Amino acid sequence: MPVKEFTLPDVGEGVAEGELVTWLVAPGDRVEEDQPVAEVETDKALVEVPSRYDGVVEELFAEEGEIVPVGDVIISFRVDEDGEDADSGTSEEPAESGESGEADADSDGDTAAEPDGEPADEPDGDVPSGRTFAPPSVRRLARELGIDIAALDGSGPGGRISEADVRAHAEDDASEPRPAPADIGSGDRKSAVSKRDASGDDADSSAAATMPDAAEPAAAVEPAGRETTLATPATRKLARDLNVDIDDVPTDETRDGEAFVADEAVQAYADALEGSVDAESAPADTVAVSDSGASESVDETVPYRGVRRTIGKQMERSKYTAPHVSHHDTAEVDALVEARERLKPKAEAAGVKLTYMPFVMKAIVAGLKEYPYLNSELREDEEEIVLKGEYNLGIAVATDAGLLVPVVENVDEKGLFELAAEVRDLASRARDRKLKPAEMKGSTFSITNFGAIGGEYATPIINYPETAILGLGAIEERPVVRDGEVVAAPTLPLSLSIDHRVIDGAVAAEFANTVMEHLEHPLLLLTQ
Amino acid sequence: MVVGDIATGTEVLVIGAGPGGYVAAIRAAQKGLDTTLVEKDAYGGACLNRGCIPSKALITGSGLAHEAGNAEFMGVHADPAVDMGQMIEWKDGVVDQLTGGVEKLCKANGVNLVEGTASFVDDRTVRVAHGGAGQGSESIEFEHAIVSTGSQPIQIPGFEFAADHIWSSADALDAETVPDRLGIVGGGYIGMELATTYAKLGAEVTVVEMLDDILDPYEDDVKRIVRKRAEELGVEFHFGEGASGWSEGADGGYLLQTETEEGEESTYGVDKILVAVGRQPVTDGLDVENAGIETDDRGFIETDDRTRTAVEHIHAVGDVAGDPMLAHAASKEGIVAAEVIAGEPAALDQQAIPAAVFTDPEIGTVGMTESEADDAGFDPVVGQMPFNASGRAMTTGHTDGFVRLVADEETGFVLGGQIVGPEASELIAEVTLAIEMGATIEDVAATVHTHPTLAEAVMEAAENAQGQAIHTLNR
Repeated sequence: MPVKEFTLPDVGEGVAEGELVTWLVAPGDRVEEDQPVAEVETDKALVEVPSRYDGVVEELFAEEGEIVPVGDVIISFRVDEDGEDADSGTSEEPAESGESGEADADSDGDTAAEPDGEPADEPDGDVPSGRTFAPPSVRRLARELGIDIAALDGSGPGGRISEADVRAHAEDDASEPRPAPADIGSGDRKSAVSKRDASGDDADSSAAATMPDAAEPAAAVEPAGRETTLATPATRKLARDLNVDIDDVPTDETRDGEAFVADEAVQAYADALEGSVDAESAPADTVAVSDSGASESVDETVPYRGVRRTIGKQMERSKYTAPHVSHHDTAEVDALVEARERLKPKAEAAGVKLTYMPFVMKAIVAGLKEYPYLNSELREDEEEIVLKGEYNLGIAVATDAGLLVPVVENVDEKGLFELAAEVRDLASRARDRKLKPAEMKGSTFSITNFGAIGGEYATPIINYPETAILGLGAIEERPVVRDGEVVAAPTLPLSLSIDHRVIDGAVAAEFANTVMEHLEHPLLLLTQ
Repeated sequence: MVVGDIATGTEVLVIGAGPGGYVAAIRAAQKGLDTTLVEKDAYGGACLNRGCIPSKALITGSGLAHEAGNAEFMGVHADPAVDMGQMIEWKDGVVDQLTGGVEKLCKANGVNLVEGTASFVDDRTVRVAHGGAGQGSESIEFEHAIVSTGSQPIQIPGFEFAADHIWSSADALDAETVPDRLGIVGGGYIGMELATTYAKLGAEVTVVEMLDDILDPYEDDVKRIVRKRAEELGVEFHFGEGASGWSEGADGGYLLQTETEEGEESTYGVDKILVAVGRQPVTDGLDVENAGIETDDRGFIETDDRTRTAVEHIHAVGDVAGDPMLAHAASKEGIVAAEVIAGEPAALDQQAIPAAVFTDPEIGTVGMTESEADDAGFDPVVGQMPFNASGRAMTTGHTDGFVRLVADEETGFVLGGQIVGPEASELIAEVTLAIEMGATIEDVAATVHTHPTLAEAVMEAAENAQGQAIHTLNR
């Protein structure tokens, strides 16, 4: 039975690594093709990685909580063979099995050459006999990257292969076992929020790459905890320099019946400790190696990776690209509160929990229709502003992992109940991190409902490349002035941030007025 | 170990300083490898000393004389006299300059030069015998070796080379006088280049060829143009006849005897006999078997696409490594060998190796012919431009020939080109670049070419392949 290795597949555009959250199988387990074997968290989604083989799990190469670079082997399977006696591993071949023996050798050869078992070097039949349509420099690059150029489809005229084609193929090769994409659990492999610059990840991924190695010494890192230890003064000094308690260094050697420790053992122990510290990215409970007089830092280091870093990059890009202006106003929403109260039983009967969000979404669409520049995208390079034809609203959702923004598409075409149900579904799956990357793409305007937690006003950051975002405060009774009297009335504080490159303050205010008008007179929503 | 044997060591040992070997040695040295180049005879190899360069010198000289004497139609009246001795001297000067340059380049790049004849002791050692008795020898231990010992003219039984009457091509390039009658055995490219040269120098040239036409691998319409022109120059062809012997003639010359397959015999009176029936690899005395390398039944050393022999750290490049036996192929192989040894991802991945024949008119070819493309599974489309429709060709007085391009109909990729005509050896370079770059026929057609030049014909041929040539009728 051949052993097949399986690498962490590319789960989204630009995603260079993922955290292996949970193993769903253990060595010795039988798996079937497409059965999920692990949960991996990448930029913005928690995805299940399915097996590509029928067989038995041979070995797991990553630990739970480990950050694994895309393309690294995470698991190997002992794979069933079709029609062959899978267990005939004896050296004595029956005489008549010469042919099947050859087939064995062949399939082994394939395994060695092409881990995913794809006959990649089979020319497509497009280019007959031996000609390659690529410039010499590109052919050399292909050799450098270990790519069989005959297996590539070029993107140039007539299928000419360019340097970019070769590099793209190299990245594919490293990251995904063909034909994998459909297996990832979502139809769309594009990353949810942004392309991430892979260059910044090198340090991280190389650290992660060493982790399987570090795991072994980490097992031997158990402090020996002796009472006394024999060692030369030089070795004791080395131990001090490396912050290692010499009584903790494991050793097999003895002198006069006492444990004896040599320089090498000290160094190995120190390295092992270091390895296990390095390997420790998330759980902090095993870091307690530095008892023996190491620095006692009170700071906790948390990896800036995955969702956190994606959010960071996205915020940075937005805030440093688009000059933000925030506009604040307050809607008096007596009528909205009443409308919702009256619709609630109807909604419950329909199995829907009606919040204020669908009303706000509808009001926003009313505003966007009137002021399309708030539903646009600035394409600086093309020197054009694209006014979007769809009203797809991103709804910011706070999750344990951080901010996620699932998208409700075509809000203008949906009813209140439908929107309520959809928002609820997306938000709950966002919290479970079960969103598909595709469900976090394509928004044209975003809403952030920080009021759900508390607060009145904020200065939201635009979900770039959108041009505006509306923040909602909490709907509460606040003092308002009516007919010269200060009275208590339910109000909704609004915080609108706009990209001042595209939208001027006056337009922002007019948009806010339209939204407020629709919130204060919900009957107007019927016109939408 | 023999007396006087000095042992030295080198990272890269190159045997033979021809266009494969000296290029390999220089590139290896450029890559920081300690490189030793062994040459037994003359830097530059057959190409510089006895082949490409001297023949081109004589072809130019004879062509110039012939042209000057045959330009009455332009109003030029002249009867040039050729001082053959002086032409040879000039040719030797060119050769000396080039071979001296090779030596200087090797030294300037830090290549250790060793003169002598190398033979393998084992797969890590060669012994180099220095020229002449009592000159001693030395053993050189190497980490990598590049065999580039080249080739030499094939002798046929009964026609052992003897400079006074049985010439090899090297002798024909060193003759101080032009024989009145020159018999040439072999109508391949060497025989045809020299037939043209000597015919222009005034010799009566007779070519005997076993096959039924000259220039065996070329297409019929290419051969026809060259043969017709040679006949105009007075060259007499006898096809289907093999040289069977010779004897001294009554007139002080020689009688060249031939025989057809059916046994019909003929005799031609000549003053010199040039045997040009091909070249064979030089491995005599090299003792490659001591290194664990075998030669094939024709004596060539087999290599892979990284120029490695069966013994991985020993490479072979150039003529000794088999076809195509062309200097530029050898140089490419030499570069690949050196870069592979330096650990780089070099390989012989060229899509085509161009070839040129310096007959009158010249032939330049690269890549596939129409039928080869067809055999390879392409759907070939062909475009052609005759030089008699080229303004520039007319102004040179040479309008024989054509440019032909072969492309794949579906993708448009240029697959090959055949050019016969003035400067075909130069013009083929453009087609070669197109092939290597993966250019389409449209790319070539859409590239603006200088007017008025012969190179425009390449563009026109590409346009013709697209059915939209301006200066010829599109068929």
